[in-house]
Amino acid sequence: MVPRRLPMNYKLLHIFRNTPFGRETFLQSLHFCKTINAHPVVYIPKTDKFLMYFSNDVVQVNLDNSFLAFPDTAHEHVIALFDEAGIPPRFYEPKDFTASTLPDISSQFDYMCSPRSISDRSSKIGLGHLGPKVRRMIKQATFPILIASPVFKAWKSISVFFGGSSNAMNALVLGLKVAIASGCPLKIYTVLEKDTEEVYRNMVRDSELEELVDQYVNEWCFYESTGFDRMLYEVPHDSLIVLGAYGHGVIKEILLGSKMEYIQSTVTNNLLVTGPNCRISLK
Amino acid sequence: MSKLKQTYNSFYAKFFLFDDRLVLMIAGAVVGIFAGLAAVALRLSLASVLEFFTPYRQYAWAFILPGIGALFSCLFLDKVMREGAGHGVPEVIYAVSRRGGLLRFRSTFSRLISSFLTIASGGSAGPEAPVVMSGSAIGSNIAKFLGLNDRQRMTLVGCGTAGAIASIFHAPVAGLIFSVEIILGEWKFVNIIPIAIAAVAGAQVCEAIIPTKELFQPPPFSIFTGDILGSIGLALFTAVISVIFTRTLRKVGGLAKRTPVSPWLRALIGGCAVGSIGIFMPMVLGEGYHPIMEMVGGTFPMAFWLIFLGIFLKIFVTAITLGWGGSGGIFAPCLLIGSLSGVVFYKAMMFIFPNAAVTSEGAYALLGMAGIMSGVMQAPLSSIFLIAEITGGYEAILLLLLVSSISSTLSHIIEPASFYFKDLIERGEFMRPGTDARVLSDLSLNEIIDTSYTTVSENMVFRKFINIIRNSDRNHYPVISDETGDYLGMVRVSSIRKYTLDPAFYDMIFLNQIMDTDMVTASFDDNLHDVLEFMETFNIDHIPVVDHHRFSGMISKARILDLYRRELIMQTNIQ
Repeated sequence: MVPRRLPMNYKLLHIFRNTPFGRETFLQSLHFCKTINAHPVVYIPKTDKFLMYFSNDVVQVNLDNSFLAFPDTAHEHVIALFDEAGIPPRFYEPKDFTASTLPDISSQFDYMCSPRSISDRSSKIGLGHLGPKVRRMIKQATFPILIASPVFKAWKSISVFFGGSSNAMNALVLGLKVAIASGCPLKIYTVLEKDTEEVYRNMVRDSELEELVDQYVNEWCFYESTGFDRMLYEVPHDSLIVLGAYGHGVIKEILLGSKMEYIQSTVTNNLLVTGPNCRISLK
Repeated sequence: MSKLKQTYNSFYAKFFLFDDRLVLMIAGAVVGIFAGLAAVALRLSLASVLEFFTPYRQYAWAFILPGIGALFSCLFLDKVMREGAGHGVPEVIYAVSRRGGLLRFRSTFSRLISSFLTIASGGSAGPEAPVVMSGSAIGSNIAKFLGLNDRQRMTLVGCGTAGAIASIFHAPVAGLIFSVEIILGEWKFVNIIPIAIAAVAGAQVCEAIIPTKELFQPPPFSIFTGDILGSIGLALFTAVISVIFTRTLRKVGGLAKRTPVSPWLRALIGGCAVGSIGIFMPMVLGEGYHPIMEMVGGTFPMAFWLIFLGIFLKIFVTAITLGWGGSGGIFAPCLLIGSLSGVVFYKAMMFIFPNAAVTSEGAYALLGMAGIMSGVMQAPLSSIFLIAEITGGYEAILLLLLVSSISSTLSHIIEPASFYFKDLIERGEFMRPGTDARVLSDLSLNEIIDTSYTTVSENMVFRKFINIIRNSDRNHYPVISDETGDYLGMVRVSSIRKYTLDPAFYDMIFLNQIMDTDMVTASFDDNLHDVLEFMETFNIDHIPVVDHHRFSGMISKARILDLYRRELIMQTNIQ
């Protein structure tokens, strides 16, 4: 037997909500972790807010009351779902507190399932706009954020949205990483806004990813500049969409809006989002 | 657009990256101005609302006013701002100690509003801690906007504190010293200049908007030899009162947490209790600057026993206000309790020694303030300079030094941690720069951990393992479960010598038979201090990091020492 290098040792932080909707989200996290051989670490909140400290920002995440619902059964429910998935249960307990009712949650994770769907309002569950907290978290986090679909949906393929920015390049690396770990087929989707196909292919070549792309990418689909919505429709509904967020300047984003937000409010797929501070390595 | 960006980058590189002290000085001035504005806004709004409510305080129903104020304050913090409880200063110290000075943007205004609601309605608290919180958060967020590093950010947090204190008391030196003594905990050239600039900027903002000289203006007084003995006695008295004040604040706060009612109801009950006491003794309400002015001026009309009672009632109502859901600081209550203590002590002294040649009652009120502040905050320098500056004279500086030193020393003996630090010390989160705990806490396990170790399978036959160690210079080999990928144990080259020397074992044994399963492990949740303690206790130089059953890497003492030295040099600036 050949000695192995370090096993996939990734951890995903999941903030558990003890409701049927929370169960769906957790099932999604479990599926994600099982597929890429990562481990979900569950935090059952005891207060309706917590802080996450990043290198240049501190983000306060406010949870609605449903996250604190039925505390007596939350632990038991999490264990049952872990057992069902065949994954040993792991919990996170905060050690540091900024104030007695304000725990600090570690930002030393490899993935985090977004507590975006922390709203009772249906417009914000699943489709709709991201809250400012999630946007800030995506901007600051050094790990990708999983924005789970509202209902558990086992994804069977990976779709990377590649627009050529540095964040998109990060997303491509992440997509490759997930494809390698999961063995799922990978497709790249590109809208040709200003440049030709060749320019995008050269970008990949310059980033020394050509070999991996040839090996793991099943298809690279190009669309004309007006074909963005067509592209969204053609992405399989059971595909994990990997994309970069906030690759443009603030002013451009205010004027033109964010592509990521548009995607998030249009498709029902699971999204894996890399922000500008995300460090993705294929190691 | 790109040319504009290039010009900006070149300007930035020329003027700012040339010397980061320049950046800190300019940013410090900006932070000082904003912190000063925040302090002035709170001071002016409090003055006008307190004045508005004064005629209504005599009515019996007025007892409800502090209750309503505390209720709104609590609801505002909890429901609108969604801030944690606490009066602010420990939160700023925590941010500096553990989080590189990161503070939320909302903290720039949240405590200002909540403390305004508490104090304006009659709650017994001071506006100083909220303005410290606000100023510090302004500094932190300006640092974030400029993309400064942790150390620069902490300096700007100090600038915010200094600007706020300098502005609210019109006391720039006290602002500088408070910032360095309480918040940052380090006297370094690189910090002091920007903080001094911020303090001056804050004081000047106050001067420009509220052109008054000093907060309290005592009449001129002379110091006699008898005052030395009097000051020693007063220092002992204020030390005892300080300890009572600190302990009452904590006890009442603890009691509130155990009371099974919702936080807003608790705030309402606490506020109404404060209002009820205030009907019989109005001076305990609000920030209490008016009675202080009278005491310092030597015109305070109350009888000895009432003043004595007033000390304890003020302690009690402050503890209720802050512990039961109100918002504010302890500076102003310290000043009132201190001046009451000084006057009580003076009156008692004159009763026992009617012919003693000592200075005036107003001077003892000043000394009492310094004594209580030094005892509660255990920061003698801040107290001395604050009292000297807010009273506009250094005539009593010798006596201030005496009272502050004795009071803070004695309080420290009885109660080793000051009110600001106690919670943080109990949580193990009070770490001053350059201390062992701080250096260790600033090193992350991610920096130290060596992940380049080769893992081996539990079912690997020993002969294959021999081939691996032949081509490697490692002494530790983590054993991993084939089924789950979990860490199972460690094979140490030094402990398997007997098998390596006898080839008969090579095909007979598997690694799961010879691995060490008892080797102590660390996880990412452990701090470095704990990891070093493990190493010392078990006398080992290497420790595997196992996080959620997965092997993550190894930590060695040699690596810790290297990084420890580097961090210590960075924190203390000594080579």
